Amino acid sequence: MGVFALDAYVLIVKGSDRYKFLDGLSTNKVDGTCSTVFTTKNAKIIDMADIIEMPEILAIIGHCPYKNKLIDHISSRILGQDVTISDVSDANNVYISTNDIEVSDGVTKVETFRGFLIVAPTRIDITVDMTLEEFSEYRIQNLIPHQGYEITEKVNPLVCGLGHLVHEAKGCYIGQEILVRMRSRGRINKKLVCVKNPTSNATTVGRIHSLKIDRA
Amino acid sequence: MDCNTCDTAPTILVNAPEVIQVSLTITEKAKEMLQGAFGDDRSHGLLVGVLSGGCSGYMYDLQIVESTEQDCQELNIDGFKVLVPNASSHLLDGIEIDYVDRMMGGGFKINNPNASSSCGCGESFA
Repeated sequence: MGVFALDAYVLIVKGSDRYKFLDGLSTNKVDGTCSTVFTTKNAKIIDMADIIEMPEILAIIGHCPYKNKLIDHISSRILGQDVTISDVSDANNVYISTNDIEVSDGVTKVETFRGFLIVAPTRIDITVDMTLEEFSEYRIQNLIPHQGYEITEKVNPLVCGLGHLVHEAKGCYIGQEILVRMRSRGRINKKLVCVKNPTSNATTVGRIHSLKIDRA
Repeated sequence: MDCNTCDTAPTILVNAPEVIQVSLTITEKAKEMLQGAFGDDRSHGLLVGVLSGGCSGYMYDLQIVESTEQDCQELNIDGFKVLVPNASSHLLDGIEIDYVDRMMGGGFKINNPNASSSCGCGESFA
């Protein structure tokens, strides 16, 4: 496989309340580097983000078209907590590598469920050798949802293949009541599946197989 | 990641809501419970704040404190010192602090006219 360039934003969260703040707003337990989902109180997705723990800061890596909505969502909830947010998207490029490649100093690499997430300053070149079609094939083979395809504001994380990012035992977060109820009552009526072509209502279309959110 | 830029990157401005001069009420039952908690010592106050999070977006934060570093309004309600952080004053104006007895989970309860909805446990609101 290879390296694919993501259309991603990079936000920096500083302050002593940074962990608690992000933990209270997203589905996974934020106590270090992790992937998580920011949801509305109706449990619809605002964005799926990778959180990278670094000294004194947490970085939020998300999908660029969803950036403003996420910023509106989280910034309106800073109520006296020691939290500041800055945007360093213009200074960094973000990639997904399907393999564990060597990276130079100054480049951040973390393993995520999508592959190795690489955040590199714009001055450092990372060779991109994966097309969108190849990235889609990789996602189809590994049942990996992606923003703008399976991960949209119309769905909740349990139906689009992000159930593993919904922590079962953490405390309250926005959207928790609905997600917990869906799980406990067995009302997750759809799920992300890989189906053979041709198919209708595919979210990602591949050469032989496609991804779609279908009845469970 | 280019963290050299982290220190110099412009902070995203948060549209700070307008600070409102809060008025609130405390029910007789809640006053009884506060009297039991404070006794005759009125050097402490009841901090009524709001934190982000909870199932619905915001959750109440009630603490008995001697002082706080938060920028607060200090109210005197029937002899009780009540501290309300200015940062969350827009969410707390007009609230009623009540106390409910339940077999399980009794305690102080906030009746908030600013809340459009609240979660099942009553600890968070939107």
